[in-house]
This record gives sequence, C-alpha cells and structure tokens, in this order.
Amino acid sequence: MIEKFKDWYINRHDYAKQWKERTGGKVFGTFCTYVPEEVLAAANILPARILGSHEPQDVTEPHIFGMFCPFCRDALAQGLKGRFNYLDGVVLAHSCIHFRQTFNSWRIHLPVEFSYYIPMPNTVQTPHARPYHRSEVEKFKTAVEEYMGRPITDKDLDRGIEILNRNRRLLRKVYECRKLDNPPLTGEEAMYMAVTSQFIDKEEHSNVLEAVLKELPQRKLPRDAGIRLMAVGSENDDAEFFKMVEAVGGTVVIDEQCAGSRYFWNESAPNGDRLAAIANRYLDRPPCPVKDYPTHSRFQHVLNLAKDYRAQGAIIMQEKFCDPHEGDNPRLKKFLEENGIPTLSLEFDSTNPLGPFRIRVEAFLETIRGEELF
Amino acid sequence: MIRAAGIDIGSTQTKGIIINEKLEIVGRSLVDTGAYVSRAGEQCMAEALLKAGLKQQDVAYVVGTGYGRYKVTCGDTQITEISCHAKGASYLFPGTRTVIDMGGQDAKGIKVGEDGDVKDFVMNDKCAAGTGRFLANAAEALGLPLDDIGEISLKAKNPVRLTTVCTVFVESDIMSYLAQGKKVEDILGGVHSAIAARTISLVRRVGFEPEVTFTGGVSRNIGMVRALENKLGMKLNVSPDSHFVGALGASLFALERATKDAGRHNEERASAAT
Repeated sequence: MIEKFKDWYINRHDYAKQWKERTGGKVFGTFCTYVPEEVLAAANILPARILGSHEPQDVTEPHIFGMFCPFCRDALAQGLKGRFNYLDGVVLAHSCIHFRQTFNSWRIHLPVEFSYYIPMPNTVQTPHARPYHRSEVEKFKTAVEEYMGRPITDKDLDRGIEILNRNRRLLRKVYECRKLDNPPLTGEEAMYMAVTSQFIDKEEHSNVLEAVLKELPQRKLPRDAGIRLMAVGSENDDAEFFKMVEAVGGTVVIDEQCAGSRYFWNESAPNGDRLAAIANRYLDRPPCPVKDYPTHSRFQHVLNLAKDYRAQGAIIMQEKFCDPHEGDNPRLKKFLEENGIPTLSLEFDSTNPLGPFRIRVEAFLETIRGEELF
Repeated sequence: MIRAAGIDIGSTQTKGIIINEKLEIVGRSLVDTGAYVSRAGEQCMAEALLKAGLKQQDVAYVVGTGYGRYKVTCGDTQITEISCHAKGASYLFPGTRTVIDMGGQDAKGIKVGEDGDVKDFVMNDKCAAGTGRFLANAAEALGLPLDDIGEISLKAKNPVRLTTVCTVFVESDIMSYLAQGKKVEDILGGVHSAIAARTISLVRRVGFEPEVTFTGGVSRNIGMVRALENKLGMKLNVSPDSHFVGALGASLFALERATKDAGRHNEERASAAT
C-alpha cells in the first residue's frame, strides 16, 4: 500500500487530470504551503502544489532571472512545458520574493480562469497579524465563492477544516512510527507521503494513510536504520538524494522542511469563528524562515524534533539562492551543534551532483560513528 | 607479520601504500587514474606489492579511498578520503589540528581531533577553483610543465592580480596579461596567490587551528606551499609523502582492522584449545 505514494508522486499530473474527469471539479495550483487549503476543500476544489521536476530545463531563461532560486525556476518550467495545463486557477499566499516572481511570471505567461494573491503577513507573531490575516482569508473565500458561483457555508468550512485536519493527524501518526529504533519506513518513503498530500485529493490520501498505518506495525525494512538523520531545509523533494543517503548507512527519521513536516504539523483548531481558526493555523504553524518574525521560534522547534526523533545528525539542505534559509542556516548550524547535533551543509540545485554529495554524506556518517569506524 | 594496504583512487592519480605492523611503509605506487578506474586501482596495488616483494595474500586487509573507492576491486572496505587524510596527516604530524588537502578536482579543509578523528570538514562545491585542475590549466596556457610552475612563481616580484579564479576563464586572464607584457613569474605569482586566497577562505569555515598540515597532489607544489604560508602567516607541515597521505591513512585504518581481526582469531583459537 505504501508504494501508492511513490506512484502518485511520479504520476501526479495524470492523477489530477483523471480527478478532474472523474469529479468534474476544479483544480487550483498552489504556490507555497501557506495557501489556506481549508477554503479550497470547502469549495470541493483540488489544491495541487506547484513543484519542480528535478530535470534539466531550458525554458525559463526569458521569463525569470537567474538570481531566483532553482526551485522557483524549476516550478515555472513545469508550467511553461505545459505539464500543469489542467489548472483552472492559481493561488499564492505571500512568502518569499522568489516564489512571488514565479507566480507573477506564471500569471503573465500561463493565464488561467482564476488567479489570486493572498498578501499574507511575514511578521506572523504580531497580534495585528491575526485580524488582518483573518480578513484576507475571508476575502479569498469570497473570491472563490464568486468564481464557483455558490456560497461556502459554515458547514462547508467545517468539512474543509476536518478534511485537512484528518490528513494532518494521520501524517503525524505515520511520523510517530519513525521514532522507533528501526523505523518501518524510509525517509524517501516518508517524503513521498508528505509531498503527495500536497497535490492528491486529501480524503483519498487519508484513506491510503489509514490503510498504511494498519500495515506499518508488521513492516520491517530490509536493513538496519544505521545513523538516524534529520533533513532540514526548504522545498527538498529530491528523491535521488534521499535514496543515496539511505544507501550509504543512514536513515532520515525526521525532517523540518516544507516538502515535509512543516506542511502538516499543526491543525486548525475549530472554534466559533471558522475563518479565524483557519487564519491562525497558518500564522501558528512551524514557520518557514520568511515567517519567523520578530522572534526566531524555528530553531527550538528544529532541535525539539531532532531530540524527539533521536536524530544523530542533521543534513542542512540549502536551496541555492534561497535567502530566507541562507539567513537562518549559519545560526541554525551553530545552534544545533551547540546542542549536540552535528550538521552537514549541502547546497542544492534543481539537479544535484550525487557523486560529490555522496563523499560528503559518507564522511559525515564516518564522523558521527567516530570510534565505531573500526 | 601483519601487512595492510590503502589504495587512494583520486581524480588524477591513484596512490597505493602497504605498511607492516611496525608501521613501516614496505611498498608504494603511484599511477595515473585515467578512464579505467578499476584497472588503475589494480595496477597500483600490483606495483606496490611488487615493490614490497609481496603477494596479494600477504596483505591482510585493504581499504579503498578517494573518489574511486568503490572501484578498488581488492578492497575489503571503503572509507572516505576525508577520514583518511585526517588519519594520515595526524600520523605524520601528531600535532595536526587542521588539514588542507588540494587534489586534482577537490579542495578540502578538515578539522582534526587529537586522535586524528574528523571534527568537521568542508569541500569545494561545483567549482574547480583551488584545485590541481586550475593550476594545470594555468600551466597549459603558459606552455609550461605543471611540475615547474611552483618554482617559477617564487621568482615573482610584482605578482599580477587575477580577475577570476574560474578554472576555465583563467586562461583568457593569463592571455591578456601576456599581451600586456607581464612576466611569466609574475603571472604565476598571481595564479598561486589567487588560489591560496580561495582555498583559505574555504577552509576558514572549519577554522585554522595550528598545526596545519598540507596534503594532496598540489602540496608538492612549492609555490602553493609558500603562497598559503604567506597568507596564513604560519608554517605548514608538508611531508615529502604529502600526496600519499590519503593512501597512508587508508593503510593505517586497514592495519587497525587487520590487527583486530587477528586478535579475534587468536582469541577464538585460544578458546577452542581450552
């Protein structure tokens, strides 16, 4: 059953097209993980996160400058190559300037019926952010209602919230299994699971998660866990990299990245004001470095995860030119090392040199093993 | 007598060292790596065995290292060159706390603990600036043998300032200085100085705690040794065997394993006898 996620990961566009045919519903491309998907689920819209493909590409040069990060260029390339031509709408919740550039370029070159920019604040911790973001989520809801030609009722919102929360709860349960001495799934498999939840129909995804959760207690990996590792970074879904790391004596047992735990870690806490519950969920979630102001709360969260999952080392996966993370990483590295978690920093592009990376990862594992080397 | 070997398949050259349990080097070999990586490893091992007057079965354990470490067909295990350089450097110079390793395509900084263990390391990323390849391109642009450029650079009185440390574009930089009538030694002085600066800024990420030991093929270049020393304001440890340090470290790891295995066998034999 667990193979389903990899299958979805590889065939995501076919899935979306078939979903449209099957349901007659609309599909919205989401830019970044701050889009309040509860509203889309309430309107029966399929949110499909726009991601890259980790292939060399030759189409973005006229549309986005080279100073923007390889991920946002790779994502735009997918649009320009026509791979997302089934989208009815695109939505960005403001996070970094890089992805905003991709969004703007997308709107110019790949027009769709519905496009919406949610000006989400970056200083999420200020009390002003709460009423402000609530009102922006409300405006977004109104825009979706107008596009769909029908109101989104409180009952719809309750359903939307529950669809998202159920998926989050199940992903947390799967992650919980990774705390075991011998986790029943690899980091690569967990990555497929978390990433696919960002573009597969949540209810369908949750149903498979439930089935997998039943299988996991009996499941054993054909190898020892080896060195327990944490992956820290931004949008890191380079499957080949995870495969390599897990082939040379490590297992990724936890991540702190938007292709993983940051996306699903917390729930919307339902209260009388549903829109406030949704808005607050995105303000309070484990933050991307662009939304960690004014106090840096992220470092402690990363360390807590490392400790909870008994990570013996952290691989800091720095997306080239991703300045929010570039700003965090030197201090994060120091913070983790001061707290007994050794780190390895690697710079990622849309395609990566696996040979040279392998030497660094192996050497990192050797330093962690220390005397056990012989 | 227990003997162990380390084979270091680098991007340019393959180095082999055989040691005995008294830690004496009994055989060594250096061959070009070329396109046939496994063959280079085999040839290197065969030559080292020949020089030591030994046969393959006389060597109890072999560790492969370097980028071709998985292609060492006779290797019992593989250890990265980062651990091996730290081990080898700290054996040759026990006070080593920092290793600068400059090879054909890699430049590394390694922070070393008291026991020769790796505390931290840093490597060049996706760019050959600061490696042997850069110097080879500079030598080629000037029509000089690679082995001579270090000596010549020491004669520089007014070293030029290179505008690039790009291994590809350095050639056009050199051409433009030649066109301006700059002296070859001054150009080479600039080349060595630029690469020293590049490498130092890389290694600063792990810090320069003395003693600093310089290893890898480029450490054979006296111009680079002096350029690094001048910029750092300290003497570097450089062994005449500095390009063998990775292989030496690998052979030391191999000997530890062989000794451990022999100890285990003796114990088993002793317990079987009782």
